[in-house]
Amino acid sequence: MTGFRHLLGPLVLRPAAKDRLRFFLTVSGIAVGVATIAAIRLANASVLSSFSDTVDFVAGKASITVLADGPGIPEAALERLAWLRRAGATLAPAITETAAAGAADGEVVDVLGIDPLADGSAREYSFASEESDILSIFEKDSVLVTSVFAERNHLHPGDFLPLVVRGVERRFRVAAVLRPVGAARAASGSILFMDLAGAQEAFGKVGRLDRIDVVLPPGLSEEGRARFEEEIRASLPPGTTAGRPERRTETVDRLVRAFRVNLSALGLIALLVGMYFVYNTLSISVLRRRTDIGTVRALGASKRSVFAVFLAEGLALGVLGSAAGAGLGAVLAKGALLLVGGTATELYIPSAHPSLHLDPFVLLLAFTVGVVSSVLSALAPALEAAGVEPAATMRHGSVEAARRRRTRPLALAGVVLLVLAFLATLPGPVRGLPLFGFLSVSLIVSGVSLLAPAAVTLAAARLDGPALRIFGVEARLARANLTGSLSRTSVAVAALTMALAMMVSVAVMVGSFRTTVATWVGQTLASDLFLSPASGRSGASFGRIPDEAIEIVRGVPGVDEVDPFLAFSATRDGVPFTVGSGLFAFIAKHGNLPLVDGRDPKKVLARALEQSEVVVSEPYAEKFRVRTGDEVELPSDRGPVRFRVAGVYTDYSNDRGTVTLDRAQFQRIWPLTGASTVAVTLKGGVSPEEGARRVAAALQGRYVLRVRTNATLRRIVLRIFDRTFAVTYALEGVALAVAVLGVLNTLTALVLERRREIGLLRVLGASAARVRRAVRYEAAAIGSLGATLGTLAGGAMSLVLVHVINRQSFGWTIAMHAPWGFLAAALGLVLLATLAAASHPAGLAAATDVAAALKEE
Amino acid sequence: MKLLGARVITESVTKSYGGGRGTAGVDALLGVSLTLEPGSFTALLGPSGCGKSTLLNLLGALDRPTAGRVLVDGRDLATLSEDERDGYRRKTAATVFQFFNLLPTMTALENVALPLLLEGVSPADADTRAARGLADVGLADKERAYPYELSGGQMQRVAVARALANEPALLLADEPTGNLDSKTGEQVLSLVAGLVKERGITVVMATHSAEAAARASRILRLRDGQLVP
Repeated sequence: MTGFRHLLGPLVLRPAAKDRLRFFLTVSGIAVGVATIAAIRLANASVLSSFSDTVDFVAGKASITVLADGPGIPEAALERLAWLRRAGATLAPAITETAAAGAADGEVVDVLGIDPLADGSAREYSFASEESDILSIFEKDSVLVTSVFAERNHLHPGDFLPLVVRGVERRFRVAAVLRPVGAARAASGSILFMDLAGAQEAFGKVGRLDRIDVVLPPGLSEEGRARFEEEIRASLPPGTTAGRPERRTETVDRLVRAFRVNLSALGLIALLVGMYFVYNTLSISVLRRRTDIGTVRALGASKRSVFAVFLAEGLALGVLGSAAGAGLGAVLAKGALLLVGGTATELYIPSAHPSLHLDPFVLLLAFTVGVVSSVLSALAPALEAAGVEPAATMRHGSVEAARRRRTRPLALAGVVLLVLAFLATLPGPVRGLPLFGFLSVSLIVSGVSLLAPAAVTLAAARLDGPALRIFGVEARLARANLTGSLSRTSVAVAALTMALAMMVSVAVMVGSFRTTVATWVGQTLASDLFLSPASGRSGASFGRIPDEAIEIVRGVPGVDEVDPFLAFSATRDGVPFTVGSGLFAFIAKHGNLPLVDGRDPKKVLARALEQSEVVVSEPYAEKFRVRTGDEVELPSDRGPVRFRVAGVYTDYSNDRGTVTLDRAQFQRIWPLTGASTVAVTLKGGVSPEEGARRVAAALQGRYVLRVRTNATLRRIVLRIFDRTFAVTYALEGVALAVAVLGVLNTLTALVLERRREIGLLRVLGASAARVRRAVRYEAAAIGSLGATLGTLAGGAMSLVLVHVINRQSFGWTIAMHAPWGFLAAALGLVLLATLAAASHPAGLAAATDVAAALKEE
Repeated sequence: MKLLGARVITESVTKSYGGGRGTAGVDALLGVSLTLEPGSFTALLGPSGCGKSTLLNLLGALDRPTAGRVLVDGRDLATLSEDERDGYRRKTAATVFQFFNLLPTMTALENVALPLLLEGVSPADADTRAARGLADVGLADKERAYPYELSGGQMQRVAVARALANEPALLLADEPTGNLDSKTGEQVLSLVAGLVKERGITVVMATHSAEAAARASRILRLRDGQLVP
């Protein structure tokens, strides 16, 4: 490696110091990509780890946990497991619930109902005061609080804590405060402990358990444990499963996985644009230093050292950008956590309490990804540099001409990729993830990018005449520059295409989705009022409205009909879904349940009521591959029950999937009462606001419920929708900004590279204004080509997003609705931004000192 | 077709570079006075660094003298506005350099058409006239060729065609044959001599070769920025 050290200065360091703007832009490009990836991964990891921590802390020392597939384990299961006690094991039964502390809009807390006599050996408790112990919760309506929670709410032993439980506000006495050890660390301290019997009574779960944690006798071999596990399974009642506690984390992971994968895919795009920056900067460096490289080669520098020098430049840019990006990512993660955590809480886990955990491994990973991709992007320019012959005399034109010959093979490869992209839309999901869908999207992006040089050439050839007539000779100058530096300009076009394609496709997807959801909300939210349990600060609701409250509402003057929806969470083979119930007679009358196949819901529901059939939501049908006429199996205490599916209905409220039965049928199988939500229709002449006021007045002082009018609920649904997709818009914005900066970067470099040509133009009598205009036209051409290709690619990608990726991730059918206004505004904005970005290089070109430029050789 | 070339007069023209911040400036030209009659062919002969290119830049309104005046057909170039200087370069004074005369990103025809388009000639007329210009220098078959596809002599002929496209009154040639072998150089010079004579254009050619200078009707010798007898 002759002279590597000596080459760094003249070939890399000094030019970089002279050209600080481009150097800064490149480092920022990488930093933004790395920061995006780091922030998203940190936020996701924080959400998941907060949940898995809770699972671990609650599971405590248990090696096996018994859970129910349906709504709880019958208490009788404990007797069937009594042999375990004789074998030296401990059984810790518990119920897990959620409540709003303080008031209707208070902090959301997890509640664990435990058997104080058994729990000490399954979970760890450490009391803040020596005098306290776990038996203190035997006293009626008393709770143990964590020190974190006590401090936040200014609580001391003996104080009273109001909790909203099943729509009723009740007061609990703080029996003792727990130090943040063991179980008290679950849910980041937002957890209360009460006596099992008291909790069963308070939450309406008498005779039922949510989990049984089993601590096996010490000193067992792996084989012994497995034998225990097998025997426990054999003695369990139907509808329950036994397994290692980690299992539940997997379930939650599966819930948020599709959402997370979608976000990560967007983060990768930001990085891709960053890679383009490195490639662009380095290839321009190589081009501008061709003569210097030729000279040092003639002086005896080896090919390998030239290659190494430019690779080192890529590495240095990568290290700087990635380090800045990792730092920025840690800062941005806080914002991302609000968005991701908010969505996870709203859509998936109401009691999640994610706190930001700056996992150094995640930061290191993002840093490494940034550095590796920078070095990869530097490979091609470094090879080009190494290929420069000693004392290079090759003219710029001939280098470009050699490149132009590659246009056709590149375009052919692009077409092949597009065909492959189409083929990739055909296979189904892989382990629930639309991997082929993502492959298809990336093939479209790369395919269209490879078409960029051909598109530039074609547009230049076709549009030269008309543009010359309309815009004058400056248009010809712009055209000549575009095709003359094809390898630079087509990369700028490709980067803009990539970013715009992403923006267009996501905008079309989100726009279509939003319109579809709005239409669906209009069809399904037919009632005037909606009641749900007060759920504290959480956006989602939990808990149940008791039957007595429903009866009160039914009796309010002006109320016409009441439709209670009652549901519980079930699992099948570890995959969660919802079992729900409503009044089929109500739906049969109002028809407010649109069916996927377009049949009349009134007729279908009337028949389903008669034949004791069920309807399933579209995500359920997709997830479990069920169609109308098939049978579904649901867990119950008496073993699985089977129902025929009468129809599949559209449902965008969740992607878990729901099986819905008639309420009477449902209550014959599961011992649940009350309702998760209640829809109320009012008699003619009663306004929704008046109805809401009357219902609230009737409940006043007895039940704490949320009463919302139809209009309010619609607004909330769309607000949640918009918040869920806010992060995607933020990422699109980042990618676009980076691409526009790329145009600035490219044009600046090209202007510096063409100083002599600009000097020559001025000699020929072209004014500074015309030179400036030519650069502007060139920017406009790059912007328009990028916009055109980006819109085409984005249109194709939106089809894949809607019909393949969304369908396979969430099981939703979405009707295509392009948001034309938004698209036109966004494309216009990008063109304006591109033109604005061209101001700097255009000014630079106009200010070229003619006599000095001509002296340069 | 106008037949009269420009009358060029320089009055004690001096051009100094640098000299700021207390350092001594370098005089590239020092008190050069000369008169060039319309239609004359003058060679500026001298070694490199003697001020030939500086003088051509002043005549071409690419630069301004530090002292003295440059008059072309009676107009003092120093009094021209930026726009007028651009117009002067488009219409009155055309330049041919030693090398890098052509825009590498345009074909031969487009290169020749460029000054016409800049002058506001319609694209169709510009193409016709450019094609005629290329034919005049014997390159009718190279209209669509890019500069890198042409030989050095061919490139210079395209440059000549482009310089003459707007029918200038003054042709400034800076070492036009410096980059060519002597035979090709000879051919290019004959071509230029023939074309300008026919059109009555005033020509100033900077060269360090006495052989090339012999083509001219008048030879002025420059040394260290001054005319020598």
